Amino acid sequence: MNESEDHKSLPQDADYSGPLIEVRNLTKKFGKKLVLDKISLSIEKGKTTVIIGPSGCGKTVLIKHFIVLQRPTSGQVYFKGRRIDDLSERELYGVRTHFGYLFQEGALFDSITIAENIMFPIRQHFKGVKWREAEELVKAKLAMVGLDGFQNYYPANLSGGQRKRAALARAVALNPEVLLYDEPTTGLDPIRSDIINELILKFERELGVTTIVVTHDMKSAYKVADRIIMLHNGRVIADGDADHIRNHPHPTVQQFINGQVSEDDLAVLRMSGTLATSQFLPRDFQ
Amino acid sequence: MIATLGSKAIQDVINAGRFGRFAWRSAAVSLRRCAHRQTYPLIWNQVNIIGVRSVPVIMITGAFVGMTLAVQAYDQLAGMGLEEHLGVLINISVVKELGPVLAAVMLAGRIGGALTAELGTMNVTEQIDAVRSMGTDPIAYLVVPRFLACLILTPVLIIYADLMGVVGGALVSFLQLGINSRAYWNFSASGVELWDVSIGVVKGFFFGGAIAIISCYKGFTCKEGAHGVGQACTEAFVASFISILALDFALAVVFKNVYLTFWPLKSLV
Ligand SMILES: Nc1ncnc2c1ncn2[C@@H]1O[C@H](COP(=O)(O)OP(=O)(O)OP(=O)(O)O)[C@@H](O)[C@H]1O
Ligand SMILES: [Mg+2]
Repeated sequence: MNESEDHKSLPQDADYSGPLIEVRNLTKKFGKKLVLDKISLSIEKGKTTVIIGPSGCGKTVLIKHFIVLQRPTSGQVYFKGRRIDDLSERELYGVRTHFGYLFQEGALFDSITIAENIMFPIRQHFKGVKWREAEELVKAKLAMVGLDGFQNYYPANLSGGQRKRAALARAVALNPEVLLYDEPTTGLDPIRSDIINELILKFERELGVTTIVVTHDMKSAYKVADRIIMLHNGRVIADGDADHIRNHPHPTVQQFINGQVSEDDLAVLRMSGTLATSQFLPRDFQ
Repeated sequence: MIATLGSKAIQDVINAGRFGRFAWRSAAVSLRRCAHRQTYPLIWNQVNIIGVRSVPVIMITGAFVGMTLAVQAYDQLAGMGLEEHLGVLINISVVKELGPVLAAVMLAGRIGGALTAELGTMNVTEQIDAVRSMGTDPIAYLVVPRFLACLILTPVLIIYADLMGVVGGALVSFLQLGINSRAYWNFSASGVELWDVSIGVVKGFFFGGAIAIISCYKGFTCKEGAHGVGQACTEAFVASFISILALDFALAVVFKNVYLTFWPLKSLV
């Protein structure tokens, strides 16, 4: 099919040495709301980049642009030196097979079983694959995330954390070159989180996968990152390795990584606290 | 005031354009996908979900249409001493007009609602984005099987509705109205042509296609949240209903002209 043609039209690894993914002056607005404000970044091949930032600052929107699930309002996106944000949806299907994307909410197909979910990308792109082989592959991927035996469960019958892990197994099903994880450890217990961190490192080390992780979890960030980028109000406010971020002078960065509430936020809390007690006393509800 | 009106009009035009593109792409991809063996299990799956479970409601719809027609038309015809012509009237109405249209409306509610709700939920939970992220065309994977299943099934279901309409009409005529069954069938046989039945069935292709495309489009463009899904379902049903009636009118005009072209004299006899 046309997928294979698109593969060929991308420059091969051997003759391309620039950044794997690059965005230039990326701006995204939803209506009047400015979410990303002229962001320029390049992601090196084989490295793990962690994107941190407060909730709602545009991390998910940013990584969706890397595979053009959303189109920029202005600015460009490049993959292996080729501009991709202006490609048609059909041309993009070929590009996207180089990526694995873990959605924040998992986005498992809820009308089919876990095994069928993981088989989906395999059967879409390897038309001739034998049923037996595909089953073996599914088993291996599920074992990797600690879910072997859950093949015939429906997503609705799994816990939130299990769903996330199943989604991770689906994202890596095609052994992609680039993995985009949207909050892989949120909602997992500490031990599972660490297993996911180890998995991320394992993919990077053994398969040379380029990894981009969006997270709030600083422990995970320090563990896996070669580079940490912090977004705030649609801009990059810090960019460097773990030590650089730890010692970053910007107060917002320090507050975020240490999990401290700023004085301004506290003031708001105190205000609303007094309001709540004065207006809604428990007896109002009796 | 004028600005809001203008921007609303522009939005409407944009939406119409989007729908047109969606419909065109769905049809084009469906045609291409027919050649892929991979699509057949998906279609089969939808045929089971959409078709098999619709059979009972469609048959009930058809039967009541036939029965009601018999009761209603009898008095008029009996007044003119033409009660034995009742068969022609019931059967023509059922196979040409009421069977197809009411079956399609029934399906717009039953299938259309389910399709919109399913795809709408997939949309708001990012499952459609997930299909895209894995390098697969959501139209090919999600819309095409549903579209083709509706295209195949609606005419078949219309035949069921027709059949039950004919049976229902006949039963009421014989058992309740006491009409001579021989005369009833003789008049029916001379009055209802294969052409009339075919028209009804051919309409089914158009109705089925319209229901599927509209419902899938509404699902794909559904807004966030449970409220968005509900709203999309309502809009899909209303739009399907109107387009069924509009298509029915357009097809009636077209078929009449075709008929007159091929058999110019028959209608004079
Ligand atoms: N489809 C959309 N339509 C309108 N606004 C949107 C849309 N998607 C995202 N936004 C807005 O963009 C902003 C950034 O959203 P995003 O999902 O990227 O946040 P995030 O950094 O991933 O947050 P979290 O850590 O909570 O997941 C939010 O304020 C959100 O309201
Ligand atoms: Mg997010």
